Amino acid sequence: MLFNSIDFAIFLPIIFIIYWFVTGKNIKYQNLLILIASYVFYGWWDWRFLSLIFFSTIVDYTVGLNLGRYNKPSTRKILLIVSICVNLGLLGFFKYYNFFLDNINTAFSFLGQSVSLQSLHIILPVGISFYTFQTLSYTIDIYNKKINPTRDFLSFAAFVSFFPQLVAGPIERASNLLPQFKMRRRFNYDDAADGLRQILWGLIKKVVIADNCAQFVDMIFNSPGDYSGSTLFLGALFFTFQIYGDFSGYSDIAIGTARLFGFKLMRNFAFPYFSRDIAEFWRRWHISLTTWFRDYLYIPLGGSRVSLPGTIRNTFIIFLVSGFWHGANWTYVAWGGVHALLFLPLLIMNKNRNNIDLVAKDKKIPSLKELVNISVTFFIVVLTWILFRADNISHASEIFKGIFSVSLFTIPSFNGMEKALMLIIMITLFMIIEWVGREHNFAIERIGINRPRFIRWSFYSFLIFLIGMYMQTTETPFIYFQF
Amino acid sequence: MKKFIKSIILFIPYTIVIYLLMLIIWGTLLPGKYNFNLNYRIGSYGHMYSRMRDVKKVKNIDILILGSSHAYRGFDPRIFQKYGLSAFNLGSSGQTPIQTKLLLDKYLDKINPKIIIFEVSPLIFSTDGVESALDLIANDIIDSHTIKMSIELNHLKVYNTLLYGLFSQLVNLNAGYREPIARRDDTYIPGTGYVEKKPKYNDEKTADDKRYEINETQLLYFKKVVDMIKSKNISLLLVQAPVTSTLYKSYGINARFDNIMEQNGNYINYNNRIDLDNFLHFYDLHHLNQRGVSLFNEMLIQDIIKNKIVNRKERNCHR
Repeated sequence: MLFNSIDFAIFLPIIFIIYWFVTGKNIKYQNLLILIASYVFYGWWDWRFLSLIFFSTIVDYTVGLNLGRYNKPSTRKILLIVSICVNLGLLGFFKYYNFFLDNINTAFSFLGQSVSLQSLHIILPVGISFYTFQTLSYTIDIYNKKINPTRDFLSFAAFVSFFPQLVAGPIERASNLLPQFKMRRRFNYDDAADGLRQILWGLIKKVVIADNCAQFVDMIFNSPGDYSGSTLFLGALFFTFQIYGDFSGYSDIAIGTARLFGFKLMRNFAFPYFSRDIAEFWRRWHISLTTWFRDYLYIPLGGSRVSLPGTIRNTFIIFLVSGFWHGANWTYVAWGGVHALLFLPLLIMNKNRNNIDLVAKDKKIPSLKELVNISVTFFIVVLTWILFRADNISHASEIFKGIFSVSLFTIPSFNGMEKALMLIIMITLFMIIEWVGREHNFAIERIGINRPRFIRWSFYSFLIFLIGMYMQTTETPFIYFQF
Repeated sequence: MKKFIKSIILFIPYTIVIYLLMLIIWGTLLPGKYNFNLNYRIGSYGHMYSRMRDVKKVKNIDILILGSSHAYRGFDPRIFQKYGLSAFNLGSSGQTPIQTKLLLDKYLDKINPKIIIFEVSPLIFSTDGVESALDLIANDIIDSHTIKMSIELNHLKVYNTLLYGLFSQLVNLNAGYREPIARRDDTYIPGTGYVEKKPKYNDEKTADDKRYEINETQLLYFKKVVDMIKSKNISLLLVQAPVTSTLYKSYGINARFDNIMEQNGNYINYNNRIDLDNFLHFYDLHHLNQRGVSLFNEMLIQDIIKNKIVNRKERNCHR
């Protein structure tokens, strides 16, 4: 079920009403309802893959219990390996099997050998990269004795499949989310109102910004040879806002929905396009994944507390793996690699934590230096997104060649220029609102909060109008579903 | 929780009011191209505004023509007139059976035709009918039938345009509008519903192969239209107007479409019956030029006069 669908608009109020009015005083009933709702939510797309979630749940629940029972290091290690193999095995088969096969075929043919390993027609289960990582964090944390295993299967199953964040995150940690399933949830007006505001802002990001950008991105990226360098750059710029609107919009809707049910999910985006360097960008972009890799890969490898070559190696590993996590394509690996290269100088010069504070804190506009830094970082990020969006490396290379040509200095030209102009105006307004609200969890969290009710409501109603006027009329799936 | 529910209950009507207000402001002040989901274009493509004014004066005619641009650009009532047949062309851009049903609900009893020629094609049966609905909302009086059609289509763009159209109608926003008879290469022939193209020849050579899928809602409405016409004892002729052979072949579902049509009434597919030149008799891949219209209409009228339409066996042997 898509957040931006009529189905969800009906589903959410029904579950909300049952949750608070029917099961309101009993945690077990509430968790059971969340579990059923989550399976319905996921099964709406393809019920067959519910078995994978259930299997992953059973395995990690059992592994967790046994990790709590046994103290012998070798037994505990075996249990952890079982959990890792099952989760990464599922992910590997469904997401990477054909990729590896194709590359083996290519490698052999490069060496003059002919092998034709047949690829399989595999459907990628939506959200598999997210829930496998979430359950893995549970067993790893128990293994590291950071948390205790739960005996409450219902809570655990609801934690794994919690519908707001099941298919595209935020990738929650058991230490944050699981205890919330065991605590009594009380309805809180402010939380619920904030939740609705965050859902509204998420919808603006998704259906007004991202989906409209997608039209032009698809058109331009599908035939780069037909467009000038300036148009190709504009296409990359549109993709920059598409991917942000799409993914952070999903996160906002997920977090807002969870708040309606009394849950607090972790923040996933913190205005990444106002970052002053790449290191800051990575602290603000897809925070739940970045911190997952930091905690479960980078730090166990030694992080930056090893020799310089070791630190460089670890940085490359985390970025390359992070890129590969996004999809079975060399473009994602290259995207991760380029970001590693951009990040390394900051790390080596110990400047990777220079910009921890919010940009232009307590000020309305940034200083010239901040503005330059933000612009340069943004420009670099735009260019790297080309690798992320391209179908393959040669496609990306064609786009780069087109951009870095004389035609970059021409006026962009393509079908639908007037629509694009309107979109640029909307993106500009959107970014202004994001800037104004950057000190908060999401842009409109506190905008006009102390103003009279009719002003606030008029603002929210205006946003709803913008959705009605500018949303794409066909339901567009979220980009991150494919990851 | 009480406070929350109360806020929601108050917020909903408040939002509706603001939404309507913004819709009116946006629709009135911003040019249409900047309103992605509002398409209120009075007197737009196809002279629909003039046709809808003319239809209100038509009564007790011999032939009523319905269908898409293939109809209002392909069936010339002046040619029918030469044979003593009074006709009116009520085609509209992209008219699907959903809009045909609306037009019949509104005007059939008043027009009271003896024969209805219903132009059909796989292309039209594969669309959702939204664009055509917008054309009708903007250029005709909005009434309960229009609202019913909008609910059936259940599309945001249709709802926005309908709401803005209702406002326009209420304040008589289009009172001073006069549609020019000639626009670019098109000339509207007053009193007929027909649009004549300036002499022009087709220079488009290829059509992308598309496997059209028949929209089940359109099929359902098509059957409703057929039943409605039959219930009023009006003769119905289903016609697939000729298009260029390149376009016709690209439809991909011709045999299935013919089969469906044959099951629902007297049907003639002129793509199989008339020999036209892709360049000389068309002005683009879809539409006949006036030379093509004359040839096609002459044959159609002969078919009607000689009553060949009722003889299924004879019709099939032309294929």
